[in-house]
This record gives sequence, structure tokens and C-alpha cells, in this order.
Amino acid sequence: MDRLQILLLLAMALFTLGLAGVIVRRNLLVMLMCMELMLNGVNLSLVAFAQQTGTMAGAVLVFLIFVVAAAEIAIAIPIVLVLVRQRRTLDADAYTDLNG
Amino acid sequence: MLLTLIVLLPLAGFLANGLLGNRLGKPFVTVVGCGLPIVAFGLAVKSFLDLLAGGGAPIVETAFTWARIDGYAFDIAFWFDRLSAVMVLIVTGVGSLIHVYSTGYMKEDKSYARFFAYLNLFLFFMLLLVLGRSLLVLFVGWEGVGLASYLLIGFWFEEADNARAGKKAFVTNRIGDAGFLLGMFLLYWATGTLEMDRINAAFTGPVAPAVSASLVGILLFIGATGKSAQIPLHVWLPDAMAGPTPVSALIHAATMVTAGVYLVARMSGVYAQAEAASQVVAMVGVATAFFAATIAVVQTDIKKVLAYSTISQLGLMFVALGVGAYSVAIFHVYTHAFFKACLFLGAGSVIHALSGEQDVRRMGGLARKIPVTFVTFVVATAAIAGIPPLAGFFSKDEILWFAFASSRGGAPWLWAVASATALLTSFYMFRLVWLTFLGKSRMEPEVEHHVHESPWSMTGVLAVLAALSAVGGFLSLPHFLEPMLPLPRVPEHLHHFETPLLVGSILIAFAGLAGAAYFFGNGAARATRVRERFGGLHRLLAGKYFIDELYERMLGRPLTWISEHVFLRTGDRMLFDGTLHGLAGLARRTAGVFSRVQTGNLHLYAFLVVAGMAISLAWSFRHG
Amino acid sequence: MIDTILANLDTALLYVFALSALVGAVLMLVLRHPMQVAMALISTMVFLGGIYGLLGVHFIAAFQVLIYVSAVMVFMVYVIMLLDVRDASFTHRFSGWMLPGAAVGMLLLAALGYGLLLGVDRVASATPSFGLAEFAAAFLSEYWFQFELTSVLLVVAVVAALAVIKGSRGRDRG
Repeated sequence: MDRLQILLLLAMALFTLGLAGVIVRRNLLVMLMCMELMLNGVNLSLVAFAQQTGTMAGAVLVFLIFVVAAAEIAIAIPIVLVLVRQRRTLDADAYTDLNG
Repeated sequence: MLLTLIVLLPLAGFLANGLLGNRLGKPFVTVVGCGLPIVAFGLAVKSFLDLLAGGGAPIVETAFTWARIDGYAFDIAFWFDRLSAVMVLIVTGVGSLIHVYSTGYMKEDKSYARFFAYLNLFLFFMLLLVLGRSLLVLFVGWEGVGLASYLLIGFWFEEADNARAGKKAFVTNRIGDAGFLLGMFLLYWATGTLEMDRINAAFTGPVAPAVSASLVGILLFIGATGKSAQIPLHVWLPDAMAGPTPVSALIHAATMVTAGVYLVARMSGVYAQAEAASQVVAMVGVATAFFAATIAVVQTDIKKVLAYSTISQLGLMFVALGVGAYSVAIFHVYTHAFFKACLFLGAGSVIHALSGEQDVRRMGGLARKIPVTFVTFVVATAAIAGIPPLAGFFSKDEILWFAFASSRGGAPWLWAVASATALLTSFYMFRLVWLTFLGKSRMEPEVEHHVHESPWSMTGVLAVLAALSAVGGFLSLPHFLEPMLPLPRVPEHLHHFETPLLVGSILIAFAGLAGAAYFFGNGAARATRVRERFGGLHRLLAGKYFIDELYERMLGRPLTWISEHVFLRTGDRMLFDGTLHGLAGLARRTAGVFSRVQTGNLHLYAFLVVAGMAISLAWSFRHG
Repeated sequence: MIDTILANLDTALLYVFALSALVGAVLMLVLRHPMQVAMALISTMVFLGGIYGLLGVHFIAAFQVLIYVSAVMVFMVYVIMLLDVRDASFTHRFSGWMLPGAAVGMLLLAALGYGLLLGVDRVASATPSFGLAEFAAAFLSEYWFQFELTSVLLVVAVVAALAVIKGSRGRDRG
């Protein structure tokens, strides 16, 4: 069980916890934060592989993921704000209009 | 080239009148519509002279090859021999005369251009029919004249009855055509060709083809029954009188209805070998002739009398065909064209003079008022009655003689029934003359006030046709057609009957005249008494033996029932619509079931994503 | 003992940071108040930054803290403070899918772990040099297109955010 395997295991665990968090938690903001956790897990695996193979590509991709995460949050939060302004609740179960 | 031109000129007339007629006005339509058939007649005369110059050898012209199947080429070819010459001259000659008559009769009509377009179309198809070398071309013409007949019968289609009559004519014809087609198929299968001259040669040659001549003969005769209005497909002809009178004259007297006679005469090679079929032809012919004559005796519409008279005369032509006297039948076609066209056009002139009245019970005393019409009508009536030396006498007498004496089916009973028909013919035709023209006037006062002679375009044609009815008989057509349609042999012991029978037929003609004068002269009092005494018989005859009602009950109602219940309710609604709606409903219900996954709950969606991801990962890792 | 730890300081720190990150992540799932969850996430991110530093990718570690913690998470904290609601999601923090969610999460982890155990290809590791100079040079030479695309992406995000807020404000007027 060398360093790479430990890191990968950690990355997988973070990713899985984030994904499970989206399913398990009710609060919209907490769900968003769990998605950030997923991104972090992916970042970790990329860095581990980059460090292991010695190429720059992994690091570059990590940087791009930073940018994307920032942009994503910049849009997701206003959406949540608009939703909450109308319904006055952060409960994900209240927003089931797109059914059928 | 000449034959193709004869055929195509009326077609050009149809296109010109149909497409441009309304825009270019009546004078254009008159010139084109009448001029082209007259030119066609001129060309026909020229071809006839060429034929005579060549000693009667057939002129063949191939226009083009329509199809090549299995090495056999289906050509569109025209064949001009003696028989074709006679038919083409009748069609174009009488046709042109009737076109000229129509310029007067249809002058006030708003669809003048359409009328001439249809007349020209009819002429085109009729010429295809009589000039075609193969049964294929003949059949195209056959169907085409049926179409033209439908269009012209229902010419004033704003009246629903007229349209219905047109439909009836077309449908009845089609039933006959089924037989025709079957005959054609059998002929092609047996002889490998559809060209009539080659088929005749195959049947008269040394090796008999592998199909029964009688079977083919009967099938082709079924087609002829439809086209030439014989029992049981005669029902359309009286109804076809709904069309304008020139149409009745041209199509339903002179030319189209004789197509069946032409077909049998043309296929004489087949019929000469088909004894059973020939007997059927003769029996159906004579039965139809007598049957129609009995109905004509009590009809009160001037055109209906002439319609039943046409059916009756056609029956006599088929009698001649049935006993092998093909050229005699064609002779009667020729004379019949003259006097029947004259009669119909004369009736048209009467109707025109009386502003549309067609019921003879409201006519009478017209002889002085429309003299030209009267004289021509009487001449034509005498011709059809068989009074010598008019044309009808010659042809009818030949038919009666061969009905009695032909070695190919002639029998005394056949002669007897045919003679009875001749007696009735003379009787009801002169009845018509008495009721229409003679005696005291029974017209409405308003109508009587406006009675006037028809214009020269109409009376001129009547005069020409009456003259032809008078002298046309002296041209011995059977003699002319002898080289290709020989007359049947007459047994020796019957030769001495010829003169007595001749005298007999003359007496019959005059007896009919006398009978009509007796019953219908002096105000038709005696006829009225007879009608009251034999009321039941009168009703049967006036109701045309109720054949139409029988057809309606036997065929019409079951078919309508089947269409309504089997096809519409079960087939269409239950099966087709049910299947379609069922499938659509199934799709909708399935989609409804599947759409239950979409709850709008984000957690469920995320759960499904993870579950799918986990499973597919596990599977892919296991199976590399 | 201290000596062994000091001798393998890298590995020891790695284990510590990894464990801490994991604890932070687990806490994220169980804590009630969103602010507490945010704190847990921030701690996880910082420890991850530490791991990046240990691995030698110092600028990535810097960016992790700079972008994620100080930009993204601060924004998040602001919003949590803004939307301080005590609604159903506060009292019942777990959704109805908790048990199936936990189960399928473990299933996923098992699948991924199984894949890991199948073996990871090892490439002969050359000595990596993740200096900032090389990083910048790579962006200017090999990955310049991706760099430009990110700027486009950021512009789009700004415009989208504005559109969402503006549109909703227009609808609420009156």
C-alpha cells in the first residue's frame, strides 16, 4: 500500500462521500457544498497521478477545474437565491415541480 | 401515317376545346370541334380509296411499341381492312354530321366548349377501338368510349339524376369488361399474341390453340353485352337518355353501342370455331330484341322508346352474328346508324321545338308545324320498320333470312321470334309517329305557342341522314365484306323459302304500320281501351319488367349491407381504427408508466445516478 | 519513535492530513447547521492543500487555498449567513433516501476500491519538477487554448449570474 494507493483511496472516499451527501442531505446549500467536495476528490486523484507520472497535464487540468468550480458556484448560488426568494425554504423536497 | 392522323385529329380537338375553348369563344369551338372530325372523315375516305386501289389488302401502321415483355412486343398499331373501313367511315361520317347538328342544338348551353371537347374525345377513343390492330388498343378505346359516355351522359351533372345515370352506365360497362379481360388473358395465354388478325389465323389454322374457342367467345361476348346493352347488362341504356340528344344519337345509337357487334365480327375467326358461344350469342340477342321491343310499345318518353328500340335492334345484330352472318350484322350496323341517328336527332328537334317537352302524351299535331322534322322522322321510321326500298328493309331482311336458313345455327323458331320483334318494331315506331306528329294537339298552350322549326344546322343534318336511310341500302355491304367475312352456307332444301320469307317480312312491316294507325289514329281511343283492359300487363311493361328493382334488391342491397357492416363497422372502425388507436393508447400508457420515474425529487435522481454508476463500474471492472 | 516519525516526516504528515480530510468530509454529512458543514468543508480543503504541498505541487496548493477556500467557501459562508432559515431542512437534516443513499454510496466505494485493487499502472517516475515557471510556460505554449476558454467561461458565468438576478428582480417588481 504505497503512497499513490493511499491518495487514490482518499480521493475515492471524498468523491463517494460527496455523492452520498447529495443524496442524503436535505438542505440545498449543503448539497452544493457536497458537490464541491466531489470536485476536491477528483482534484486529489489528478494531482496524485500527475505527481506519479511526472507530466504537467494533470496539474493543468486541476487548475482548469478550479476555474470551472468557481464559475459553477457563481451561477449556482444565484439560482438558489432566486428559488429561495419565491418559496422561502431551503428544503430540496419542496422543489418538485418538474415531475411527470 | 394517315391512320394515325385520323385517330389523333379528334384528340387534338379535345385538347384544344377543353383547354382553350372557354377562352376563345363559341366560333373557335365550332370550327375546331366540327372541322377536325370532318377532316378525319376526308382522310378516312382517302384511306378507303387506297384500300380499294390495293385490292382490299389490309393497311397496317405501327405507331410505336408500348412495351416489350418476354420477347413479345406490345405495339400500338392500326389496321385498316374492309371491316375497319366500313366502321371508320360510319364513325367519322355520322359523327361529323352529329357534330354539326350539335352546333344548333347546344347553341344556348353554357358549357358549349366542354361538350365539343367530350364529343371529340369520344371520337378519338372510338377510332382507336375500330382501328386498333391488337385487342390491347381496342380495349383502350373500349374503356375510353365508356369514359366519354359517362362524361356525356352526366353532362348536365347539376341534376343528381343525370350524374347517377352516368355512373350506372360506367359501372354496368365495367362488369362486362371483366369478362372481356378474362377473354383477353386466355387468348394471350393460348396464342401468345393479342393482335386480332393473328388470333383469327391461329384459330382457323391447322392446329387449334390450347383454349376452348367457345369459352373465349362467351367471355368476349360478356364484354359485348355490357357495351352493347344486351340482357342482363342492358339497364344502363334507357337511363343514358338523361344526356343531351346528340349524345344519345352518336353514342347510344350509331357508334359506341355497336362496338360489341364490331368486336364479335372482328373475332369471327374465333366465333367460327365456337358453336356453343355462337348459339349463346344468338339466343341472348333474340331474347333481348323481343324483350326490349315489348317494353318500347308502352313507353311514353320519346327518347326512351328510341332507347329500347336501339337495344332491340342490337339484339337483332347479335342474332346475325350468332348464326355466322357477320357481314350482315355489320350491314345492319351501317343502316341502323343512319336511321337511328336520324330518329334521335329528329326527337331532339321535336324536344327543341317544344322547349324541352319529352312526353308523347303532351305532343300531337306537330306535322304541319315542323314539317322538315316530320318528314325526316317518317322516312327514318319507315326505314326501321323495314318498308322497302328503304335501307332498313335490306339489312333486316338479310338478318331474318339467315336466322331461318343459316347452316350455322339458323332455325325456324329463331326466325319466328325475330319476325315478331320486327312486327313490334314497326308497330311501336309508327305509334310514336302518330302520337308525336299526327292527330289533335295535346300540347300545353304555352308550349304550343312557341313551336318552331329547328335551325338549318339541325334540319340539314336530318335531311342528309334521312336521304342516307332511304338509299343507303342499295350499297350491298355483305358483298363488299365477302372476301374477309364470308356469308354462311345455306342448305339446299331451304333455298326456296327465300322469296316467301321476303314477302312475309314486307307484310310484317305494313302490318305494323296498319296496327299503329288502327290503335293510335283518331285520338288513340282504341289504344286507351286496350290499355285499361290489360292493365296488369301494361304495368309490367311500363315498369321495364322491374329488372332495375330486381337488381337493386338482389345485388344493390346486399352489397350496401356488406359495405356498411363488414367493411365499415368491422373492418375499418374496429380493425383499422382499433389497431391504430390501440397502438397509440399502448404507447401513451407505457409512457405514462415510465414517466413515474420523474418525481422532481433531486435526491432520487442523484441516487439513480450513483446506483447506475456503481453497477456499471463493477461490471466493467469484472469484465475488463 | 519520534525519530522514526521525524525520519519519515513526509509520510507521517501525509497520513495525518489524509485522516483529517476524511474526518472533515464525514463531519460534513452529519452536522446539522449549514455553517458547521461549511466549516468542515473548509477544514477538509485546507488539509487537502497541505497534501498538495507535501506532494510538491506548491502552486496548486496555493491555488487551492486561494480559490477554493478564500473565494468559493467565503461566498458560500456569506450566503449561508444571508439565508439563515430554520425550516424543515434544519430540523430534519436527512432526506427520505438516507438509507438507500448510504447503501449505494458504500456500493460505489466498494466498486471503486475493487478497481483500485486490480492494479494501477506504474510509470517509471521521473523526478517531477512542478515549478511555477514550468507551469506558466505550459499554459502559454501547450495549453494556451484551454486558458483562453477559461476566460470565456468566466465571462459567461458572470453574464449568467447577472441575468439570473436581473430577471428575477424584474419579475418581483410590484
